[in-house]
Amino acid sequence: MGVDFQNVIEGLMVSIRPLNLLWVLIGGFLGTVVGMLPGLGPATAVAVLIPITFGMDPTSALILMAAIYYGAMYGGSRSSILLNTPGDGSAIAATFDGYPMSQKGQAGQALTISAIASLIGGLFAIVGFVLLAKPLASFALRFGPAEYFMLMLFTLSAIVSLSKGNMVKGFIAMSIGLILSTVGIDLQTGVHRFTFDIPQLSEGIDFLVVIIGVYAVGEVLYNFIGIDSLGSGKKKVGKKWITKEQWQQSKWPMIRSGPMGFLIGVLPGAGGSIASMLSYTTERQLSKNPERFGKGAVEGVAAPESANNAASVGAFIPLLTMGIPGSGTTAVILGAVIMLGLRPGPLLFENSPDMVWTLVNSMFIGNIMLVIMNILMVGLLVRILDTPPKVLYPLILVLAFIGTYTLSYSMVDFYILVIFGLIGLAMKLLNFPIAPLILAVIVGSDMEQNFRKSVVSHDNYLNIFFASSVSTTLTIMTILSVLYPFFLGWLQKRKQKQA
Amino acid sequence: MIRLLMPVFFILLAVAYLVFTFQLPESQIGNPNGPRYFPALIGFFLLLISIIYCIQEWKQRKEELEEVKQLFTGRTPYLIGSTLVLILIYTFLFERIGFLYSTILFLGGLLFVVNGRKKWLINIVVAVIFSFVSWYSFSELLQVSLP
Amino acid sequence: MRKWIGFISVLSLLIMAGCGGSSSGDGEGGAEFPQEDIEFVAPASPGGGWDGTARAMQKIMSDEGIIEENINVVNKPGGSGEVGWQYLSGQDAHHLAINSSLVITNNLLGQSELTYEDFTPLGILTTEWISVAVPPESEFEKGKDVMEQLKEDPTSLKIGVAPGLGNNDHLSFVQAAKEFGVDIPKVEFLIYESGGDVVSALLGGHVDVATMSVSEAKEQHNAGKFNMIAVSSEERIEGLEGVPTWKEQGVDMVFPHWRGVMGPPDMTEEEIAYWDDKISEMVDSEAWQKVLENNEWQSFYKDSSESKAFLEEQTKNYDELLSESGLTD
Repeated sequence: MGVDFQNVIEGLMVSIRPLNLLWVLIGGFLGTVVGMLPGLGPATAVAVLIPITFGMDPTSALILMAAIYYGAMYGGSRSSILLNTPGDGSAIAATFDGYPMSQKGQAGQALTISAIASLIGGLFAIVGFVLLAKPLASFALRFGPAEYFMLMLFTLSAIVSLSKGNMVKGFIAMSIGLILSTVGIDLQTGVHRFTFDIPQLSEGIDFLVVIIGVYAVGEVLYNFIGIDSLGSGKKKVGKKWITKEQWQQSKWPMIRSGPMGFLIGVLPGAGGSIASMLSYTTERQLSKNPERFGKGAVEGVAAPESANNAASVGAFIPLLTMGIPGSGTTAVILGAVIMLGLRPGPLLFENSPDMVWTLVNSMFIGNIMLVIMNILMVGLLVRILDTPPKVLYPLILVLAFIGTYTLSYSMVDFYILVIFGLIGLAMKLLNFPIAPLILAVIVGSDMEQNFRKSVVSHDNYLNIFFASSVSTTLTIMTILSVLYPFFLGWLQKRKQKQA
Repeated sequence: MIRLLMPVFFILLAVAYLVFTFQLPESQIGNPNGPRYFPALIGFFLLLISIIYCIQEWKQRKEELEEVKQLFTGRTPYLIGSTLVLILIYTFLFERIGFLYSTILFLGGLLFVVNGRKKWLINIVVAVIFSFVSWYSFSELLQVSLP
Repeated sequence: MRKWIGFISVLSLLIMAGCGGSSSGDGEGGAEFPQEDIEFVAPASPGGGWDGTARAMQKIMSDEGIIEENINVVNKPGGSGEVGWQYLSGQDAHHLAINSSLVITNNLLGQSELTYEDFTPLGILTTEWISVAVPPESEFEKGKDVMEQLKEDPTSLKIGVAPGLGNNDHLSFVQAAKEFGVDIPKVEFLIYESGGDVVSALLGGHVDVATMSVSEAKEQHNAGKFNMIAVSSEERIEGLEGVPTWKEQGVDMVFPHWRGVMGPPDMTEEEIAYWDDKISEMVDSEAWQKVLENNEWQSFYKDSSESKAFLEEQTKNYDELLSESGLTD
């Protein structure tokens, strides 16, 4: 595969220099913190650091910024698990089972398993990076508009199929999300759509505002119901370490989700949200008792956490092999290293292999540091649950507003935030699944653009679905994922009749 | 009957969205209807699925909506209402009197409403400390520009 | 009641666990114009060219001691610059914003009420040049060949461009196409969200031709991953001597992708002179040359009065190109 192990060893030596270790530690910690806070994500944290990286050695800067990126994947799930308020798209899947675990008094274990899962996913991805970087990069290029469209459609349908017994509500939530994603200037033609002459809307509605609104604000409002009957807090947080049984349950899901998340991460533009949601739905369908999912199944936390961390490592492949940023954060990182005079491109591997391998090794070290750091923090973090809810919820609300403001410094976003808070409240009350809405907002506009690009490329609508072997496979999987729940229902009815 | 409110709302939403979609200006570039296809597709899909939803709800019209009822019991309407009012005031003041003061007022107000007047000391202390710490760490340490 | 204290301390700890911030020196200036901190507005999110320009200016002006006062960079993204410039129009001369051709085209496209005339142009700083690239196995060897093919059949090729219609990459292609008499509104442009996406689309063979800044294409060209067949500069570009300019191919066109700075409306002569002075000092510094080199920007310095004339001339050109492209009537 063209890996020169000499270079790998040299990279290891550079990455364990004390200063570089320190950067990994700082980056990982900062990433964990910003990952926890709503709205502040790795992209913001990296951007904030740009002035500081001026004058730094480019390799160290890259190590630092990469550590922030995967550190945020560790941190992102903390607030999802404890408070049901994910800070970013890739942390949403952690709410599905993480928050129920918390409510069952297993917050500590949920936090621990998610850190371990992140480590396992990360390690898989790093090994994959070392062995497969180049061939994967050329595989990713084969993904054209038709393939992307089908990948997104498949993820959406898989998420909708999660809404057990209530696919209709899932589809409604998805449609609303897609409607929201059509607000703004149409990329292909420059036509303003549904912007009602508000300039802040011309670039569309930021999906992070939707996430913060529906989850954080919606959750706070929802918890106002019956808040007086809640005690002074002091929920059971349970043991910190996981049991043997939990390890058995989550072992294979973690191992399966790592490579899967990694592959999706390599595709430019797919990213952690799709990776974590797909791994969650996959595990549920593979599970012998899928009814446990959504009620605090430990593997439901392990799988997506393994996948999103693996995806964050995978996202560096297009960046380092071709100079193509695969996600918002890697785009900011690219901008920053260019300022330092480094030009990631197809020649980076040939021209400065030492730097690439230093980064890879630092990721390895960083992941191990992060898992230790995060498990140590579990005891501290579960104390958040000790706070009386009457104090905690107002604080979350304020953090939601600050987080939103830092996204685009616009007051219009405050109104959007409140509207989505109310929508979130209504959805919770009426039992609408939230994930399809959020995922649709995240991928909707890409989905439309890819759809239209592929119509131009293939001249016929039907050809999109069978443009290549990849898209044909995805088409079949999409159809199956929608029909599968019906099939299950039919099977159960038949069983009941026979019995 | 209250159960039919949501489905009808979604049907109206789908219709309104479709109307707006067909009023979109034609594109001067490429296919003149390009900007409309995808929204039209979603609009019709939502319309179809809302009608199915409507039928589903009609079948269960006798069952009560327990969760929604809770919204109107106890202090809940008061809490949610006051929170919304406070948010409006906060939004109005945020860029006028600056982040620090508006946040102290907002958080303090929220705590008085939610946590009760009796715990006034805690409320004030939390509001001031939390606002200051977040202002300090965002604008000074993280260099995020806050008003 | 100790519980919440525990929580607050945890939270404070977490939040404060940022990175070492910079401590600010005292901002007492002289009695003259700059009486308070200076602010550079980057009308975009961190990480892009506007933000990079603003931060480079901030860094150099403070490090080289060109300006004594504190300089802050604020990001005001939204509406292709509209939000940031809207903000600038209500400020005083301590605030500058980065601009580019969007300050002209937003208005021409009907997306903004503001034009450069609503501000005080203070200078043009840098430019990038724009290239046309094809896959290495493509039959096209020159930009001219692409245009002739498009003239015959405007829908025969898919052209990749980012991040939106009416931007420089798009319009430079339109201008060249116009010279060859191509039926431009029929040409199939595929719009990608970022320059990186266009690069991967071209590498993966999902588009036939792409137009992008030279800096985005250079590495790929040198690695033989694709072939640059025209550049929009006056003369051939250093390090890319094998790539012909449009001029050599018989198109009378030089198309810069420039970035500059402007201040709020109604600045006094004294304030304009101050900024002319400071900006020209910055442009002459060695640190600025380094910034240009790292980012593959070319120096394109014009002072305040030259900028004004330049913007006027650019407005005419863009107006023509936009109607040519079919984006405006």
